[in-house]
Amino acid sequence: MSDIGEIRQSAIGAASTGDLETCRSYLGRLDVPNHERAWIYCQLSEALYHKGSHDVAVECARSAFDLQPEKEEIANLCAWVFSNCGEHEEAAAAYEQLLAIRPYWATGHRHASGSFAAAGQLDRAISHGRKASDLEPHSFEFALHAACLLETVGRPAQAAYYLVRAAALDPADAEVLRHLSATLLALEQSEQAVALALRAVALAPADRLNALHATELLLRTNRYDEAAAIILEVVDIHRQDPVALRLLSATQMLRGLTEDALAAIDRALDLSPEAAEYHLHRANLLYRLGRLDEAAEGFSRSAALDPSNPDAKRSQLTVYFDSGRFSEALAIGGELIRTSPDNEEYGRAILQVLHRRFEMLDGDYVVLSDRPLRLRPELQLRPTFFAALQTQLRVIYALMIRETRTRLADSKLGYGWALLEPVLHILMLSLVFAVMMRGRPPIGDKFFIFYYTGIIPYHLFVHASSSMTNAVSSSAPLLQLPLVSTFDVIMARGLVEVLTDMMVAIILLAGFFALGIGLLPHDLPALSASVVAVSLFGCGIGFINAVINAFFKSWDKIWAQLTRALYFCSGIFYVPGMMPDWIRDILAWNPILHAVDWFRSSFFPEYEPHWLDRSYLAIVAAVSVAAGLCIERGLRRHLYEPL
Amino acid sequence: MITLDGVSKVYRTRSGRRTVLDNVSVTFEAGQNFGVLGGNGAGKSTLIRLIAGSEIPDFGIVRRYARVSFPLGFGGTFHGALSGRENVSFVARIYGAGLRGVLHYVEEFSELGEYLHMPVNTYSAGMRARLAFATCLALDFDLYLIDEVTEVGDQRFRQKCAEAFRERMQRSDIILVTHNIHTLRQYCDRGAILANGELTLFDDIDTALGRYHRMVQESL
Repeated sequence: MSDIGEIRQSAIGAASTGDLETCRSYLGRLDVPNHERAWIYCQLSEALYHKGSHDVAVECARSAFDLQPEKEEIANLCAWVFSNCGEHEEAAAAYEQLLAIRPYWATGHRHASGSFAAAGQLDRAISHGRKASDLEPHSFEFALHAACLLETVGRPAQAAYYLVRAAALDPADAEVLRHLSATLLALEQSEQAVALALRAVALAPADRLNALHATELLLRTNRYDEAAAIILEVVDIHRQDPVALRLLSATQMLRGLTEDALAAIDRALDLSPEAAEYHLHRANLLYRLGRLDEAAEGFSRSAALDPSNPDAKRSQLTVYFDSGRFSEALAIGGELIRTSPDNEEYGRAILQVLHRRFEMLDGDYVVLSDRPLRLRPELQLRPTFFAALQTQLRVIYALMIRETRTRLADSKLGYGWALLEPVLHILMLSLVFAVMMRGRPPIGDKFFIFYYTGIIPYHLFVHASSSMTNAVSSSAPLLQLPLVSTFDVIMARGLVEVLTDMMVAIILLAGFFALGIGLLPHDLPALSASVVAVSLFGCGIGFINAVINAFFKSWDKIWAQLTRALYFCSGIFYVPGMMPDWIRDILAWNPILHAVDWFRSSFFPEYEPHWLDRSYLAIVAAVSVAAGLCIERGLRRHLYEPL
Repeated sequence: MITLDGVSKVYRTRSGRRTVLDNVSVTFEAGQNFGVLGGNGAGKSTLIRLIAGSEIPDFGIVRRYARVSFPLGFGGTFHGALSGRENVSFVARIYGAGLRGVLHYVEEFSELGEYLHMPVNTYSAGMRARLAFATCLALDFDLYLIDEVTEVGDQRFRQKCAEAFRERMQRSDIILVTHNIHTLRQYCDRGAILANGELTLFDDIDTALGRYHRMVQESL
């Protein structure tokens, strides 16, 4: 026994000096009681820790803690060793063990919180941290610790509670004020946040973090000049601080001093040339200054340094777009849409580029090409009804423009004739009949207006129907274009004539007013209806004429004679009421006579001819349009011989 | 892709009826360039116009699953009294292409300069052809129809045309009618022979040329 007693004694002595070998020979024995074994491990661990053998110290502490975790001194020492050796999880477990024994030990909660925080278990760290501060509300450090943890996990309201506690304990601590300011900002109380930040700066003017924080807050609340005052001071002290310079650049940018901002970010980039965000910011400044090429380079640099950030690429697209480099913009757009295919904004941006590119030329021989994104038309067997309609309207519009242009180009008089013809007509009629009738027209008291109301409907009909007659033969070359059909060229002509005559009618009426002999129609709907009806009639007959002319080449000359005869049968320079009844009954078969009387009656309220049959003109017009369109469609392929 | 489905076309001439296509059903696939061979008067130009849609077949139907050009270099739509610009604008409007883009391209390509603002009947034949060529290239067609490549302008301009065309052929297909065997070999992957109302497609241009050569010799 004495032998054992000796060994035991030497082991206890060796433990306090950290002599592992001597202890092992004793601990290797089976009959050592657990409490003694744990105690020796404990001693060893402490000694070994002091000697600097941390790994072995941790091993020993582990053994001790496993053997007797419920013993206060052992748990205490083990927690201390674990915590100092970076074994935070085990340290936390040991502290929890201790706290099970002494639940109201504030410092223990603080230690446990620290260990849990270091081990990454923030929830338990926070619960211990809060307990520590609540148990010991007068501890400034405990309150600050709890607040910082709460701030980290984004619970600003609770963080603010502990920060207020800390601030009450030490109102002059700038760091607490800064944290409180940040939490208030998170709680959207920006005014108070700014006030606190400014107080923090006032308390510790040399503190870089405080100043940066205050500057950021001031920028957020649009107080740029105050921000500038603070950040300039910081930059003055910390000349080699890229973060401060970046902030200075932002401040100057917001103050509108773009050049100064550029100088600041250049200094920042000298200090840390690899910062993608700095390049992005610098490129944005260059873009603002209109230095597009440099901006584009900056954006691409930033994108290269940080490929995961799409902002640089998006801005690059804008710069390329603005500087007219559409191919490059499109390439960037392609990359963007590949990385995030669902982003609508990118899609819109690309479409914008494509549209612009469609309108403008870019580069050498690439014209109007939006192939990369366009589905090949193979997929669509037939154009939809609306697409076809759109194409047809476009073609007719193009033909109309061409028609008016050629008219202008063909003769020196051009459109002058369109106006001159009715004017001369009316003048002549007025002169002749003013003499014959001794001063009074059949209706109203103005010769000009009376003849005007005869000539306009007549011209609407005759011009449209005559001009459409040889539309096909005179537009034969255009029919070589597959998109242009005979219908289109005939229709375009008719529309040009009708629109021209309508313009002429309006101009003439305005002219009458200018001369002081104007008269406004009293019944505008009737006026419009008669104009529409006679125009339709003219177009319908025009279609029929165009078809006849294709088979019977002299038809246009015969038609010209017929219209001349029509001139005398349409009541242009007389009123049918002046005729004997039997003649009037024959003349009433002439739809143009009804058109003239309809038009005329919309000007003169007292003129209400009983023979006027509006529906007759309407029906004849509808039938002629239907017939014209039908025979044009049916005989289309025979209307012209290809060149 | 262009399909002819039971297409017939007959012309009445002074010497009687002349059948250009007799119940022809073929498919010109997308992504391939065709060269059409045939004797004089066999109806190659009519075939091109049928494909373009500027002529309607007597029977059958031509389906176009692509934007098909009018025959390259066709200047028939030009109105002598209108300026080059106005004429180009007209064609661009017809095809719904952006006016600015087309005009800019034509300005650059045709090298007509101030003449673009002058009436077309003041142009020489070469200038007209340049304008027509530029207009056709300015519009982005999927399939270009070429009926006898007309040589336009001087050596340098021809070079420019060839380059522009080569670039365009990366995106667009062509159907080419020419007697120039060198041109056919250079541009076409596949051949077609039009004779006696029949249109026969061949998988490669050399086979078509060989067959055509034999046909010509037999008929002599």
